[in-house]
This record gives sequence, C-alpha cells and structure tokens, in this order.
Amino acid sequence: MEHPTTQPSQHSRRTFLFKLALLANGAVGAVLAVPILGYILGPVFKRGRSYEYWIPLGFLHQFPEGETRLAHFHNPDGSPADGQTRTLPCWVRHIKQNQFQVFAINCAHMGCPVHWFPQSKLFMCPCHGGVYYQDGARAAGPPPRGLFEYKYKIVGDRLMIRAGQLPTLATHASIAAPGSSPCQG
Amino acid sequence: MKTPAKILAAVLLSASVGCNHLPGKPGLRPETQRPDQTHDFATLYKTNCSACHGDNGKNGPALPLNNPVYLAWAGHDAIQGIVSNGVPHRLMPAFGPGAGGLLTAEQVEDIVNGMMKNWGKKDVLNGQNVPAYNPGSAGDPTQGQAVFQRNCASCHGADGKGVAGGPPHVTGSIVDPSYLALISSRGLRDIIVAGIPEQKMPDWRGDASGKPMTDREVTDVVAWLVSQRTPHPGTMVTPADKRKNQAAIAPVQSRGGR
Amino acid sequence: MSGLKQKGIAIYRWLDSRLGLAGPVIEAAEHPIPKSSASWWYVFGSAATVILMMQIVTGVLLALVYTPTARDAWNSLNFLNHGLTLGWFLRALHGWGSDFMVAIVLIHMTQVFMFGAYKFPRELTWILGVFLLLMTFGMAFTGQVLRFDQDAYWGIGIGASIMARVPFVGSKLVHLLLGGPIIGATTVSRFFALHVFVIPGILLAFVGLHVWMVLRLGINEWPMPGRLVRRSTYIQEYEAEIHKDGVPFVPDAGWTDAMFAAAIILAIMACAALFGPIGPTGPPDPTIIQTVPKPDVPFLWIYALLALLPPKLETPILLIVPVVVICVMLALPFFAGEGEKHWSRRPIAVLMVLVIAVSLGTLTVVSLNPPWSPEMTAWSADPVQPRFLRGRTPLERQGAIVFQEKQCRNCHALAGLGGKRGPDLASVATRLTEDELVRQVLQGGGNMPAYGSALSPAQTTALVAFLGTLNGNERPARDPSLELTHSNAAQKQQKF
Repeated sequence: MEHPTTQPSQHSRRTFLFKLALLANGAVGAVLAVPILGYILGPVFKRGRSYEYWIPLGFLHQFPEGETRLAHFHNPDGSPADGQTRTLPCWVRHIKQNQFQVFAINCAHMGCPVHWFPQSKLFMCPCHGGVYYQDGARAAGPPPRGLFEYKYKIVGDRLMIRAGQLPTLATHASIAAPGSSPCQG
Repeated sequence: MKTPAKILAAVLLSASVGCNHLPGKPGLRPETQRPDQTHDFATLYKTNCSACHGDNGKNGPALPLNNPVYLAWAGHDAIQGIVSNGVPHRLMPAFGPGAGGLLTAEQVEDIVNGMMKNWGKKDVLNGQNVPAYNPGSAGDPTQGQAVFQRNCASCHGADGKGVAGGPPHVTGSIVDPSYLALISSRGLRDIIVAGIPEQKMPDWRGDASGKPMTDREVTDVVAWLVSQRTPHPGTMVTPADKRKNQAAIAPVQSRGGR
Repeated sequence: MSGLKQKGIAIYRWLDSRLGLAGPVIEAAEHPIPKSSASWWYVFGSAATVILMMQIVTGVLLALVYTPTARDAWNSLNFLNHGLTLGWFLRALHGWGSDFMVAIVLIHMTQVFMFGAYKFPRELTWILGVFLLLMTFGMAFTGQVLRFDQDAYWGIGIGASIMARVPFVGSKLVHLLLGGPIIGATTVSRFFALHVFVIPGILLAFVGLHVWMVLRLGINEWPMPGRLVRRSTYIQEYEAEIHKDGVPFVPDAGWTDAMFAAAIILAIMACAALFGPIGPTGPPDPTIIQTVPKPDVPFLWIYALLALLPPKLETPILLIVPVVVICVMLALPFFAGEGEKHWSRRPIAVLMVLVIAVSLGTLTVVSLNPPWSPEMTAWSADPVQPRFLRGRTPLERQGAIVFQEKQCRNCHALAGLGGKRGPDLASVATRLTEDELVRQVLQGGGNMPAYGSALSPAQTTALVAFLGTLNGNERPARDPSLELTHSNAAQKQQKF
C-alpha cells in the first residue's frame, strides 16, 4: 500500500487544512488575548486623576492654629476585603486662619510613614532616615524632594482633601513641596 | 522485625503529639500589640517619661516623680492634666489625644494611676499644714526676697546666684535668665513645696529657717524669682550692648575704612 | 511474606508495562559521571530541589487555611500560629525553608560559577539558572508580602515607590503592582496569585528543564588548571573521561546528595522548632505610625542600599544597575564560554565573588542594627545617665531636658544609649567649643537639620551649657583665638 505522504494531492490538502486550523487557532487566540490582557492591565488603563476624590478630613476646630495634627480618612474606592488598609492617615498643618498644608503620611523616598515631632518641628522617617522641616521641605537623608501634599479646600467648617492614590514620585497628587523642582518625579 | 517497627511507630506518634511543647512555639496571644493597646505602667512610663524624669521616677533632669510628697500634694487630677496637656510654652510635652499626643486617654490614666500606686503614699501629708497646690493670689516680690533670705540663701546664695566653691547642688544660679525662662512658676512652686530629695533640695518643711513655709511665703518667693526674669533671656546681645558696640565702631566708620 | 512481595512485584510490573518509566528513571539514576564529580561540593543543586519540594508541600498545607485578603490575612496567620495544632510549626517550616532556599541557591550559583560549569556546553543550564535565581527572590518577596503585617504593608509601599521611579510608565507600574490606587485587597490577592500560581508554575517548568539538561549534558567534571574548554573538543574529552573514569551517579555520588538533603531538611526543622515562625508582627493598619518596617533577611542588603545611596544617584542606580548585572550574568557563558575552568587560573572570577560576597554580607550585617534612621522613641525612653547630671547647675539640668525634649536623643546617643545616626555626644565638649556648639545646633549641617526655628535663645543657652559639660573629665575644647584677643573675664561675657 502506498504511503499517504507520497500522494501529493491528498498530502497537500491535509497540510493546507492543518495550516488553516492553526490559523483559526491563532485568530481565536489573538481575539481571546484582548479581554485577557484588558483584565490584566485594567488598573493601568484607568487614568490617575479618576482615582481621586474630595474626601472629608474633619472639622476645622480639630486642627488648632499653629499645630500639626494626625488625621484619618477613608479611601472611597475599594472593597470590604480591604479591612484596615482602607483607613489612611495624613498630617494636617494649620498655618493660620484658612491656610493649611496637608502632608501625605508617605515619605517621598520610599513611602514609609513619617512621624511628626512638635517639639523639634521635624518629620522623621523610620526606614532610611529621611527628615523634613515643618513646611514639608527636605531637611536630611535620602528623600529626593519634600513631603507630598494633598490639595485641600474648606467647605463650611470642614476640611476636605483630594486623595485616593498611594503617593509616590509618579503618582503624587498635587503641589510639589517648597524647595523641590516640579519637574522631579 | 515487628517489634523495632512498632517501637519506631510509637516514638514518632508521641513525638508528633509532644511537638507542641517546643521552644519555638508562640505564646497565647499575637506577639505584637497595637501601640494604643499597651496598658502596662512600666512599659508606658519607660517609653514616654523615663527620658526626662529618670528610671523609676528619679535621677532624671526633670522633677522626680517617685516623690510621695509631690504625688499626694498634686493629686490625681492635676497630674493627669499635666500629662494630657503638657505645660504650655515650657518643656513638658502634651501626651493626651486632645492635645495632639499619641497616647489614648486610657493610657494617660494608666500612667497616672501607676505612679500613684507604685510611688505614692496616701497618708504622707496627713496632719501636715501643706501649702495649697495652686497659689491663692499674686505674690509680693519684696516679701518674697525676705523669705528667700531666711529660707533659701544659705544654700542658694544671697542673690540666688549660687555659692562659689560649695557642694555641687548649690553652685549654680537659680536666677539665671535662661533658667527662669525655661521653668514655669508652676514648676518653681512644685520644687519649693515637694522638694527634690535626691538633689538634697528639702520640701517646704526642711528649709534653713527651721520652720515649715506657709502658703503665703511660697507664693511670695515664687513671685520674687519670677520678677528676676528678663525680657530677652538667652540672647547674647542686649539693646544696651548694641548701643555700646555702635558707639565703639562709629569713629572707625567715620574714617571710611578699616 | 513472600506472597506479599510477589504481589508487590506484580503491581510494579503492571504499572511499568503501561507507564514505561522504570527504564528511563533507572538509566538516569545510574548515568555515569566523572569520578571527580562524586564530591560534597556538588550537593547544593539537589538540596535546592528538595527544599523546593518541601516548600510546595508546606505551602499547599498553609493555603488550606490562609486567607489572601487584606482584611483577613493577618487574622488567618495568627489563627495558624495560635489556633491550630502545629500550625505554628508549619508556618515556621515554610518561613525558614524560604531563607534556607535563598542561601542554598546562592551557594549553588557560586559553586557552579567557581567550577566553570556555565561554560560550553552548559550555557543554557546557566541561563535558566539565572532566571531561577530571580524567581527565587521573587518567591521570597511575594511570600514576605503574603505575611501581611506592618512590615509587609510598608514593604509593598517601598516596592511601589521603586516602580514609580521608572520614567514614563512609573504610575502605570505602580497601579499594576498594587492592582489599583492604594495598597488593599487587590494587592494581596495578586501577590497571592503570583506566589502560588504564576511563579511556581514557571519555576517548576524551568527546574524541570534545568535538571533535564544536567542529566543530558552530564555533571561538570572537577576543573583542572591548564585543562582548557574548547567548543571543538570538549564533548569528546568529556565522553573520554566518563569512559575511563566514570562512576554511576547512584550510588557513588547520589549518597552525598541524599545525605546533604536530609541534613538541610533537618536543619530547617531545627530552626523551625527552636526559633518558631517568623512573625507576623503588628496588624497591617496604616494608621499605626509607630512602626519601624524592615524586610526579611534576603532583602536587608537592598534596605541598606536604599538608605546609603545619595539621593540624586538613587533612581539611575536602582533602575540601571540591576538590568546591567542581570544582562552580564545571562551573557556570561557567551563571553567566557571557553578557556580555563579552575579558579587558580581565573583571578577575576575569584575577585568578583569575594567583592560581591563581602559587599552583600556587610550591607546585610549593617542592616541588622541600622545606624541611618533616628530611633523614634529614644527622646522619651532613653534616660540621661545620672553621671551626666552630677554636679550640674540648674541651667545645665534644664539643658539636659531641652536635649531630650527636642528629640536630639533620636539621633545622638550619650555613652551608647540613644540613636546612632549622629555622633555620640558623651564627649562632644572635647571637640566643639561653645561657639561651635551654638552654630551646629542652630544651623545644622550635612545630615543634621537646622534647629534654629525650634529653639528659643533661652533653650539654646541651656542646651549648649549642658553640652559644654560633656567632656568626660578630658580637657574641654577651647578656641585659642579668644585667649589671644580677650582677657578671661571678658571671654566669659562675650560668647559670640
């Protein structure tokens, strides 16, 4: 009996059909890849700004003039499975009257929580030794810039901040701290 | 080969049950507590107070807290107020939540109660005629100077500037303008009435005059000390010095050069 | 008894006639290797494989209880530690197994490098090995995150901050890493998928290929100085050596591998039994700011590097150096694929290993007691030792209170007690005069911030008065120029 491969016409048809089947799989795979990639890259496509909301921080009388106090806010986006990670702290400096500075808790170096000391008027970071002055400017250590600040506004007697993202050199929410270049990060 | 296998099985089985008593086994509760859940007085005191007030409430640069006279005299509420709110414009920080501190109200209570329990003696002031915790009225500096001469000058010098060559605890000035700027009249009253036992500063009963000080006398002495404050403590160049310096360099300036 | 034995053999024959695995497995086990390779120096690769098996088993058992959400992970870890019989031991095995795995993989890589086993024809084995090393570190990092406590929470923040430094796509990488805008449930769950599904899958595939190639290409012979590797002649020379001096892997060399594997597993069990599980530390609550986050031991060298790199160089170094290093490692068999294998003829290789080992070792050791961060509680928890207060005037004692209250102690120790960021001040008065102390405190300099805005003149006077007494019975520092221009009495008055 003749070996099937030595019959050119039947061999080329089967080969052609096999190649067609491969092409079909390739096409289906490409189409399937789109929603899968979309799912994986979902968090990336959402624009940074749309993660931010105006969030209430507390009443004005909770922040006496001339002092820097710790405040907490709840992240608006999220699921119940976030647990404690949904409540985030920040430092509110009441300069005078309606002038505030709201600093993110995250150090500008690597994001560790900075600790305010009212006696020496310094923020100190426990991780790699970053230190900032009371207006957020960098005082010492490895941070490349001053503390990240949230945009704020006063609505009635409440202080509100525009927040919602983890502040990093690429995702910091608003104004560059004094003494640093706005081009940085 | 049956018996050794049985023995081995028995050993392994009992080992797997007894495994639960090894040194690596963690204790009953999570190892790390939240900082606001710490209620142990020794830990709270050591972490927050011992740096200035000393280990075990003594031998620190600030007022010793293991003094039963001070604890009984000031009382629970006054001490709680100071721990919570600090002493404004002075060196004692505020630890309570309402004033921006990082302790909870409960933890402040734990500290105050712990001090009273460990170092206080309830009856130490019984039958004693102790001056009031707060001054009743403004004191008289002139009277105060006289009181100072009677009670304090033998150690602190006639003018309060210390006794040269004396023992360590009396050589320093207590009217140095910087010193008076840093200590409040509350602090002065505390030292005079409660004393600093480890520094050989007597309480209101043990002064040179031999008689316990009255409330009036304490108020007057504090008023006299406070009257020694200067408007620009710690600055090296007073306005008078400035005028003198200007007068000294004026001839050089008029010559137009060095 | 012989009836049971015969039944066993019958079952074995039934399986083998269908699977046909016995032949290849026995052939692989008994494959000839050079006699010089039957050595204790060659055991590390198989030890890594055995630890991998143990990690998979303990990992699966942990996954039966562990809850990969931000809300429940910490609770489930504590449940494993305190609520389940021997749950703590299982966690301890997995945690210590991870540290041992990193160590064994590094030792294995160093041994392979020093023995020249990356040279022809084993280049692909080496390349896969480099990826296996990276994946081992990936497993260590994702595993550390899954132990979702305070260290892990702020550790992810550090990872996100490093990602953020990549130009153009920084924010996208941050959101990809976190699975959203902040560290939350999406972050923990994607690290769980990475740690349990993605990386182990690739890891097992690569380990399979790696071992396949080791079997196929033969175990590296013990290097000889002067015996060069040449692509044209190596395979024939290797075959000749095996024919002349070959021994079967099992049992001649396999016994050392098996012994060492048993010893390593025993060591992991001993560490687990004696030292217990690693963490979890405090709950992953970002509002707890009294925290000092630190990574696990395999990452302490990065922790040190991040503290010590100068700020302006940090981003370029963090982004460029690892890529260059990995590319060099991957390209190694191509620019050094022939030539000498013995370390006595490869001075650069020996030097590189020594320099890298000493650097990483030093960075790790220094991180165990880090001197670069202030100690956050030293200002209120470390007392001024009584001997620094003896015989001081009231003003100097107030100065000691100022010294504590202004958090000086956070960076400066007194006779060893306190922070290590700045110099110990127990004898500062022998180095700085009063003027210099005033300037230093008000203006700072270098790594010290300026305290001028936080100190009143009275506080400065008191502080400098106290610091001026810290001369430890040595002669205090003095400014000779003052003596030349003023009398002693005037010197006391004129302090500026």
